[in-house]
Amino acid sequence: MNFGRLLRSAPTLWGLAGFLVVLAVWGPWIPTFVLTLLINLLLFASLAYSMNFIAGLTGYVSFGHVVFMGTGAYAWGYVVGTFGWHPLAGIVAGAAVGLVLALGIGSVALRFRGVYFAIATLVTALAARNIILVIPALGDGQGIILNLGFEPLTWFYTIWVILGIQVGLTYWVTHGRIGYGLRAIKSDEDAAKALGVDAARLKLFVFAFSGLFAGAAGALNVWTLSGVFPEPAFDLLFSLQMLAMVIIGGMGTLLGPLLGAVAVYLPHNYFLTVAVGAEFIVIGILVTFFALVVPQGIVGALRRYVPTLRGIIE
Amino acid sequence: MADASVIVAQVIFGLIRGILLGCVFALIALGLNLVWGIAKVVNIAHGELVMLGAYGAYFLNLFLGFNPLLTAPIDAALGLAAGLGFYFAILHRELRGKEAITLQSEMVTLVATFGLSLAISNLANIAFTGNFVGIPFDAGSIEIGFLQIPLAGIYVAVLSVVIISLTHVLLNRTYLGNAIRAYSQDIPAAKLMGINPTAVAAIGTGLAFAVTMAGGAFLTTLFPTGINPYMGALYAPISYVIVVLGGPGRMWGSLVGGLTLGIVIDVGQIFLGVEIAYAVAFLLLIPVLLLRPEGILR
Amino acid sequence: MTITIAAVEVHKRFGGVLALRDVSISVAEGQVVGLIGPNGSGKSTLLNVMAGVERPTAGRVVLDGKRVDGLPAHRIVERGVAKTHQIPRPFLGMTTEDNVTVAALYGSWKVRDAGAAREQARKVLNLIGLDGQADALAASLTVQTRKRLEFGRAIATGARILLLDEIFAGLSPDELREAIRLFTHVQEEIGFGALVVEHVMPAVLTISEHVVVIEEGRKIAAGTPSEVVRDPNVIEAYLGTEAARAAT
Repeated sequence: MNFGRLLRSAPTLWGLAGFLVVLAVWGPWIPTFVLTLLINLLLFASLAYSMNFIAGLTGYVSFGHVVFMGTGAYAWGYVVGTFGWHPLAGIVAGAAVGLVLALGIGSVALRFRGVYFAIATLVTALAARNIILVIPALGDGQGIILNLGFEPLTWFYTIWVILGIQVGLTYWVTHGRIGYGLRAIKSDEDAAKALGVDAARLKLFVFAFSGLFAGAAGALNVWTLSGVFPEPAFDLLFSLQMLAMVIIGGMGTLLGPLLGAVAVYLPHNYFLTVAVGAEFIVIGILVTFFALVVPQGIVGALRRYVPTLRGIIE
Repeated sequence: MADASVIVAQVIFGLIRGILLGCVFALIALGLNLVWGIAKVVNIAHGELVMLGAYGAYFLNLFLGFNPLLTAPIDAALGLAAGLGFYFAILHRELRGKEAITLQSEMVTLVATFGLSLAISNLANIAFTGNFVGIPFDAGSIEIGFLQIPLAGIYVAVLSVVIISLTHVLLNRTYLGNAIRAYSQDIPAAKLMGINPTAVAAIGTGLAFAVTMAGGAFLTTLFPTGINPYMGALYAPISYVIVVLGGPGRMWGSLVGGLTLGIVIDVGQIFLGVEIAYAVAFLLLIPVLLLRPEGILR
Repeated sequence: MTITIAAVEVHKRFGGVLALRDVSISVAEGQVVGLIGPNGSGKSTLLNVMAGVERPTAGRVVLDGKRVDGLPAHRIVERGVAKTHQIPRPFLGMTTEDNVTVAALYGSWKVRDAGAAREQARKVLNLIGLDGQADALAASLTVQTRKRLEFGRAIATGARILLLDEIFAGLSPDELREAIRLFTHVQEEIGFGALVVEHVMPAVLTISEHVVVIEEGRKIAAGTPSEVVRDPNVIEAYLGTEAARAAT
């Protein structure tokens, strides 16, 4: 397969890759202020891709995804604070904990369909937060404070790598056999089973990815804050924003989570200086609007109403 | 064995408080249950309604000096209007003309109400500020032996049970109730019987919102300083667990679920602490969904 | 080596209702068996039990000499038995070809490559005469075309035995003739076995070599089509009402 054909066969993938390469090359010259904004934007995008694995690809809407972020954050804080691990190794620990927890929670909660799954994940996240609050090794509800240096460039490249892997994986699971199976499950799970799709395994497979990356992103998030505290680590608003990004960007698409991250992050940053909390009013109204009027999200709407984009963006 | 008697006294007190709280929980959950059972809408903004009900009571008390118990009917009237508005602004678009409400439809309204929940709570945070407020209200208390039980708690618990019973009567003994139940079971059949599906779904939603906001007003008497723009984030999940416990669409189920949760939380915290008691209450949902997906009744 | 699926002394209870009582039936690859009975007699339930959608309350399902009751539905499909739904359930947002490709990728063919599976899907669409609508969204198909797609998906799993739930229902006489012709053609081409559930009698009698009749969850007759139509139990339970309706 020559390069031109490869490029034409997956323009969105290569577009995203190009975007990431530009960021990586530019990295060392980005002004620190812009860099911190970019780190947060990429973190949001990473959370969006994490949510996309489950909500986007299977239609199972999780309200409790912050549980993977929060436990990933605490795993990071624990191994870095107690064992003195390198923060990067802590990220791997966060990812591992996210993965294991996702396998555990998923093997139970993924049996519940639709709204029941959403509610089950919500209460699991709330309960997990309450349980973490009383564990002495995890700071007894006071959190874990670490004094690590300000290393924006390291954070930037770390989240860059995480995001790059997510984009690649998203492409991989949406194309080929797994992609067909997931689309079938999302459309009609029982009919999919009747054609031989092992729905339980496939759902758990993508849920595990989802948990892994949310754990890694959660760990990176607290690295940039140099400490882990229960309220921010388990703030349900993270779950809700993850979901908002995927709904706005386009559920199950390759480009959607990134667009959704931008759509959610911009009001975030804008209102930070104007009225704290007001961004959620905007995001909330956007979510309601998209759910009712544009359920296919930005990417789906572009594909639908702009025919020339149909073969290009996914 | 002084210690033992202290614990026994605590447990009895926790049990009583749990029952009183459970009745109000049940009323709040009934509001969720009604929309869930009738229109198959799981309202994620349910907690925000509770919050608005509580603030309604708070402001009526603050500016007009209303007794919080008397604010409930005003809250309910506001809730009815809000429910009708909500139905036509949000739900109608998705539900109109549907012969059966599919999983896809349920997810659409779930996500749409989730967006609303986010917007409303944060709007409230700006409008009402994030401070915790409360209504100074003391209706006295009765003493049974060594126990002091606040009368306000008894009033709201009794009123909650009365409202739940009236809702039950409304659903089972009246034409409107029959229409609502017919709609919730089989939309095409209900239409054949001359029932206007839009009217029924709208009225059902209004009724649900009325009940929920009245429940929010009642809560203010149990938690003297518990009114906050984000309080919905607690009462929504509590309501989900109660409805699943009792079985969606079963009105008495809400009462059973509410009492269960009230007791688990109030007695549980004596032995486990507040955090774990709530964690247990939330996680009750999982075994119920696994073993008795139709609810614990029957 | 041909395979056989058999339900052996199957009982199925839903709450207080006994939907199947002691029903036994078997279908071998290459053989077309009809299963008839009035509405609500338990035909679909029996199919669901055999396909792994429901577990039997008692009794067993044996496929190729091994017990398969209790296995999830997708495992049964992997072993070469596929079921269609009475009301077709296409993946509405996917094209006709993609619908069939899912079946080719996950059925018993063990095709793992999407390209090869699409090729397989196109062959099946050709065979069932849907090649002209390969790129149409399933949501845009008529009910009759959806039925054909449902049939095509089951074939594309590579199934050697099909459990077909009322694929001939709701057709006009012309459409029925065409559907039977298509079914016979495809069956001869592939050589699959089929358990054909129907309450449209003529269709079943035309295509089946063996017919089983159930009523209220109980097997009341079995034999060749001509034996079954002469069976007094069947006339009483089934044809009686049918004939009465035809007479008026």
